[in-house]
Amino acid sequence: MPSNGPLPNGSAASPVQLTTPPILGINLGNSYASIAVFTKEGVAECIANEDGERQIACVLAFHGEEMYIGNQAKQQLVKNAQNTITGFRNLLGKKFSEVPQDKLSVSTPVIQHPSLPDTPAYKVKVLQPAPSPLPRTATNTPAASQVATPRSEPVEVERILTVSEVTTIFLASLRQSAEDFLGRKITGVVIAVPTWFDDAQRQALSMAAEDAGIHVLQLLDDAGAIAACTSDSADGAPTDCTQLIVDLGASSLELSLLSIREGLAYALATLSDSTIGGDEIDSKLIRFFAKDFTKKTKTPLTVAPATDAQDKRAEAKLRLAVEHTKRTLSASPGAATCSVESLKDGLDYTGSINRLRFDMEMRSIYDKVYVKVKELAESAEIDLYDIDEIVYIGGSASLPGLDESISQGFTESVITSFKAGTVVGGGVGDPTTILARGCALQAHLLVSLAQTSSEELLETFNKESEATSVAAISRTIGLLVPQEDAAGSLGGIWIPLVLKETPLPCRRMLTFEVDASGANTKVGFELWEVKEGVKIDHVKPPKLDGEDGEDEELEEVKEKTLTKEAYLASLSLSPKNPIKGKTTVQVQAIVSSTGALDVSFREVIRDGFGAAVTATIAAP
Amino acid sequence: MASVTVLPALPKNWAVPDSPAAQSLAPVVQRKLIPAGSAYLAHVRRTLQNLSFEAHDKLIEQDRLRIEALRADELNGEDHAGVGDDEESPELALLDPKEWKKQDHYQVLGLSRLRYKATPEQIKITHRKKVLKHHPDKKAGQSHTTNDDAFFKCIQKAHDVLTNPERRRQFDSVDPHYLALEEDAPTAADFKGNKASDVDYFFKAWAPVYEMEARFSKKTPVPLLGSFDDPKDKVEAFYDFWYNFDSWRSFEYMDKEVNEGSDSRDDKRYTEKKNKTERARRKKEDTARLRSLVDLTLTLDPRIKRIKQEEKDIREAKKKNKGGNSAEGKAKAEEGNQKAEEEAKRKEEEEKARAEAKKAKAVAANAAKKARRQQRAAEAEATS
Repeated sequence: MPSNGPLPNGSAASPVQLTTPPILGINLGNSYASIAVFTKEGVAECIANEDGERQIACVLAFHGEEMYIGNQAKQQLVKNAQNTITGFRNLLGKKFSEVPQDKLSVSTPVIQHPSLPDTPAYKVKVLQPAPSPLPRTATNTPAASQVATPRSEPVEVERILTVSEVTTIFLASLRQSAEDFLGRKITGVVIAVPTWFDDAQRQALSMAAEDAGIHVLQLLDDAGAIAACTSDSADGAPTDCTQLIVDLGASSLELSLLSIREGLAYALATLSDSTIGGDEIDSKLIRFFAKDFTKKTKTPLTVAPATDAQDKRAEAKLRLAVEHTKRTLSASPGAATCSVESLKDGLDYTGSINRLRFDMEMRSIYDKVYVKVKELAESAEIDLYDIDEIVYIGGSASLPGLDESISQGFTESVITSFKAGTVVGGGVGDPTTILARGCALQAHLLVSLAQTSSEELLETFNKESEATSVAAISRTIGLLVPQEDAAGSLGGIWIPLVLKETPLPCRRMLTFEVDASGANTKVGFELWEVKEGVKIDHVKPPKLDGEDGEDEELEEVKEKTLTKEAYLASLSLSPKNPIKGKTTVQVQAIVSSTGALDVSFREVIRDGFGAAVTATIAAP
Repeated sequence: MASVTVLPALPKNWAVPDSPAAQSLAPVVQRKLIPAGSAYLAHVRRTLQNLSFEAHDKLIEQDRLRIEALRADELNGEDHAGVGDDEESPELALLDPKEWKKQDHYQVLGLSRLRYKATPEQIKITHRKKVLKHHPDKKAGQSHTTNDDAFFKCIQKAHDVLTNPERRRQFDSVDPHYLALEEDAPTAADFKGNKASDVDYFFKAWAPVYEMEARFSKKTPVPLLGSFDDPKDKVEAFYDFWYNFDSWRSFEYMDKEVNEGSDSRDDKRYTEKKNKTERARRKKEDTARLRSLVDLTLTLDPRIKRIKQEEKDIREAKKKNKGGNSAEGKAKAEEGNQKAEEEAKRKEEEEKARAEAKKAKAVAANAAKKARRQQRAAEAEATS
């Protein structure tokens, strides 16, 4: 019996609640959105909306009294394009004068709001339900009739929606989907935003979210969501790597280069280009199918851009149909079909394309992406060979051909989600869900933090927080075990300890076995700062028979190089109890926030550690 | 990074390199972290609270242990939602599902530790557990008695009762476990002899009684007995609450079944009426029982004595004080007396006036009556 007072029926002290309050991660793209929740099993999972779609089109359509949201609304682009709103996210927080007007629009055009100054808005025609008839009174019903007055026909009105209103409606529908899935009210949300979003846009987005009844915990940069997702989901110890993020969405390409050191991430460089995107891929694909249609049926069809009204409609139909084709191509290596009923002049169309043909058609886009990647690496003064991992985001990045053509410029060992086989079946590397899952993980982190910690800690998750600026070391520090007959320029075996661009303070620990068979052997190493470089050799490719030797091009061969920069210290000890001629040693390096290095070297013995040898190097 | 292969030892002729050791590392560069992920949180914690790596490791270890302990608590013996595992007594297996009104539903579902405190969630879980264990399909062929599923039926009945909030309240009102405890409530006889002045015994005996009765209160929170040192207003609030106790307890559960077989409406109505009166009687009895309990507590309460004593002490202390500074006190007292006298006089007069008014009224009424009687008599004469 509890001593704190009686309890009414069925209110026993509830057991300890380990489950965190329901949270939601939203990836709100310009064309597609996805949502993820944190499940009971402790993983973030992308969930489907009530239509079963994990990729929810950011489209809003009005038809009569109905409002359609998501992929249903996308269908309306064929017949009801003037009442269908697309691409509203990028207009958030922008003034009407800043919106480019020259773009050909397939949906409702953006107009100036009639009453609000310099505000972009959409005008849609909707049927407003007529007001229900007034209740009968003595005065307004002269003729006594028992039949209820029928409702009059709905009236056609024009509805003006601002961009933020549209966003609010859309976000509210996402929230509703998640709440239906969880059966509980969502308490906190993290929304992913592109890195180039400025303060006004962020402000507008969080306002729209608050209006939709969403409590925004953080607006997280895309790169942050990826960092949260990739560094948290690794089951082993978090690794140090340089990550390239390729975000090829429907409407733009965004690239960023992250340095991730034990989960701590910062962007080395970012780049975005709105001329390359999935829409471009679509256009190429529908042009291909339109050509095929003309060939098969002898009916002329020019699409992307289409001029004729009939062609325009055919284009809209094709655009919807190729969505399916693209997904099939990404999922399976076989041929994918595209079928449209009554494409033009009442003629049906069914065609197919295989992956090879598709990649050929898309070659120019892939190449453009690759050029951009190189541009980005150059701006960060990094060679492609220094990049350890490529992460893909966005529907169009699911195409295996893209990965193939991009990763050719990298080292053989570069990790991509395609190589790891985590793309298909909604694995951890699935480009379409990774952002939402990262947001969900972050939201989970923030919510559990809010339960246990102070405001001060939460504050640091603000983008402008001072805690985000850190010092990082500029050169790699590592161990060199000297060898008399070692290959390479260093004269020994090189083990990197603290990589360059590691935020401070940091601690790295290495444990390894060393040979201690002879008598009086000493184990130890020298501590060096090194400079990493890439040596580019031009070698002649192996001669092929029957080829002219004249216009032979030199092939680039890249190799990672290391050059000694500064000698720091050397540590050695005599092993006390080698087992079978081997002993285990541990090296621990701690670099303080000012840059002072502390290294300790000790032997691991059966129940603990031997005496440590230490070295200290002062801060610069 | 940690290499798997065995590293060689230092060569025999190795000496510290003669290149001069650098005084410091290469200069640091400034970067802007992306505030995301648990690693960032760890980093911020370390910098904000100025923790060394070791101290932070310790913190994390503590956190992990705490969470693990919580998990272990939760998962102990598949203890979902805090549902324990009751021993099933052999008597349970002998229960007759036809006599379901007499069974202890909580015991059947293995919730006898929680009873009225069990949440619907817990009831659902224990029911599922019991069904898994006692489903007739599981027992097929194990024993040869015909009523293999008797206990299963009991479980279903218990589930039916406890998942319906209305019926659960009715059952909670007459929960046999608590009925037995109610009979054990202390009586006046328990407090005879040297126990009468034993303060600890008083609280030990009464506290559980009030805790038990408190579950019937419509109003929450319910003030409990408290302790000996409670101030006067708290004690008063306690008795005030319990004398005006608003209980949801009802006795429908004890109703006699209307005989289903007979279709005599009169029979039915008769039983219903009887049940109704029986319910009312029980309710009345229950109220009386509670009242007598509170009465008994009040008479025995050592706090009342203490409070009285304290008040007396205060009064006496005041009196003593009064003796000290007399003149003013006396004047005040006299004034008070005068006032009281005046008041009394006024009251008397008022009363007198009222009495007179009453008398006058009575006289008037009498006169009216007389007049009416006379009139009637006259009329009667006239008609005859």
